[in-house]
Amino acid sequence: MNSAGVGEPTDRALLERIRRGDTSGAGELFERYAAALLRFADRLLSDRSTAEEVTQEVFVKVISRAHQYDGRAEVSSWLFAIAANACRDRRRRDRRATIVPLEAVSEPAQKGEGIESVLGERERRAAVRRALSALSEEQREALVLARYHGLPYAEIAEVLGISVGAVKTRIFRAVEALKSRFSEGEASWNAAN
Amino acid sequence: MECRELTPRAIDELAGEADEPSRRELARHLENCATCRAERARLEAVWASLAEDSEAAVTPEFRRRSLELIEDEMIRRRVEAFRPRPRWLPALAYAAGLALAALAGVWAARHAGTRPAPAGGAALAKTAAPPIEAGARLANVSYTPPDAEGRIGVSFDLESRRTVVARPDDPEMARLLAFLVSRSAQTSGEKSQAIEQVSSHYASRSVPASPEIVRALTATLKRDPNPGVRKKAADALAAFPITPEIRVAFLEALGGDRNPAVRLVAVEALAASAKQSPDERTIESLREKAFDPAENGFVRARAASALKAMEF
Repeated sequence: MNSAGVGEPTDRALLERIRRGDTSGAGELFERYAAALLRFADRLLSDRSTAEEVTQEVFVKVISRAHQYDGRAEVSSWLFAIAANACRDRRRRDRRATIVPLEAVSEPAQKGEGIESVLGERERRAAVRRALSALSEEQREALVLARYHGLPYAEIAEVLGISVGAVKTRIFRAVEALKSRFSEGEASWNAAN
Repeated sequence: MECRELTPRAIDELAGEADEPSRRELARHLENCATCRAERARLEAVWASLAEDSEAAVTPEFRRRSLELIEDEMIRRRVEAFRPRPRWLPALAYAAGLALAALAGVWAARHAGTRPAPAGGAALAKTAAPPIEAGARLANVSYTPPDAEGRIGVSFDLESRRTVVARPDDPEMARLLAFLVSRSAQTSGEKSQAIEQVSSHYASRSVPASPEIVRALTATLKRDPNPGVRKKAADALAAFPITPEIRVAFLEALGGDRNPAVRLVAVEALAASAKQSPDERTIESLREKAFDPAENGFVRARAASALKAMEF
C-alpha cells in the first residue's frame, strides 16, 4: 500500500527525506497517512483524543526511527505496526489506570426490534463501535485492518508480526463473534440491509 | 467444497482475498445449498454493517498541532547530533604516550641484558567500561543476566560535567546553544540563560546568526509555554538582521501570541524591518493592530506610531 499519486514522491522517498532532516518530507507523510492512522487508532482505542495522541506519537517515532526502516515491508505497514504497538501500550497503561471495561458502559441490547425503527444513524454507529470494542484486542486489530483499511492478509501479517494463517483465524473469529452478537439482538443488522 | 468451509471462504471473498477459482467454487456451492446461502447472507450483512461505524477525521486544529509537533521534532533531530569533544581524549593520548615510553624502556632494558620485573595481575585485567571521571553520576542503571561465558552487562547513562569554551558564533558552540534553546535545557531559567548568551553576543553585531540558532529561537517564540521565555526569544531575534523566517515568526507572534509584551517586541521588530524594506504583509499586520479595539493599548499605540514613522 503506497498512497503516492502519479508524479508524487513514493513513501520511501519521503522517508529518505525525513532521514536527511527535511521537515517537508515528514509533513507530506503526515498528510498522506494521518487520516488512516487516526481512524485505525480511534477504532482500536474507542477514544478520539487518545487516538490523536497516538497518531502524533507515530509520526514522532517515524522521525526518530527513520534510519531503522529496513525496507523489507511497505512504509504503510511499518506505520500501522508502530500505531498498533502504540495502541497496545496505551491500552496497557489505561488498564492500570481504570478498571471499567467498555462493555460496562454500553447500552442494553434492543432485542427483537428493527434497527430502523428504534435506532437512528448515531445509535447504529454507537452499536458498531460497541461491537468492535467487545472483540478481543487481537481480533479487532486484524479485522479493522482488513475491513476498514483494505489491507491484504499478507500485509496485515507484516503489521501485526504474525503469520497469514493467524490473520485469517483472527478475522474469522472476529466475524463469528460479531455475527453472534448481532443475532442476539445488539442491533438488528439485517433490518439495516 | 463442503458446507463447513463456507465461513472462511465467504470471509476471504468479503475481504477481497479469494482467488477466481475459489470464488467460482463458492458460487457453485451456493447455487445448490440453501443453508449456506442464508449463512453467507448473514456474514455479508455483518461485513456491510461495519460500514456504519463513524470515521474519525483529521480536523484543521489537529492537523495544525501535529505539523507543529513534527516541525519541532525535526528541529530537535537536526541539533541533536551535537557531541562535545570528549574530555578523556587528551588523557587517552597522554596514557598512550606513557605506554609507548614504557615499551621503549622494556626494549632498552632487554637490549641492555637485564629482564624487566614481571607485570602484576592487574595488567591482565580487561575492561569494557568507559573512562569514568571522578564525581560522575550513573543514572538509569540496569543489569543483563550472565551469558554463556558468565559475563554480565551493566547499562547506564553517564552524567558528568563538561565545559565547552568557544565564541557564540563558533559553529560547535552555536549548535550547543541551539540545542539548549530547543531541547536540552530542563528549566525555563536554563533556556533563558542560553537565549541571553545568544542575545548579548549578537546584539552589538550585524552578522547573521547560525540557521540552527534562528530555527531554535523561532520555534521557541512560536511554541514555548512560558511567556518570559518567548519574550526573550523575541528580543534575541529582534537583534538579528531580519530574514524571511524571522519576519514570519514575528508576524505570527503579532497575530497570535497571548502575551502583549511579546506582541510589543514583534511590533517593534517588524516596524524596524519595514522601515528599511517596506513589505505589504508587515504593513497590513501593523495596520490591523493599530485599529484593533481589542488589542492592548501599548501595542496599538506602537503599531500606529510605527506606521506614522513610515508615513503609511
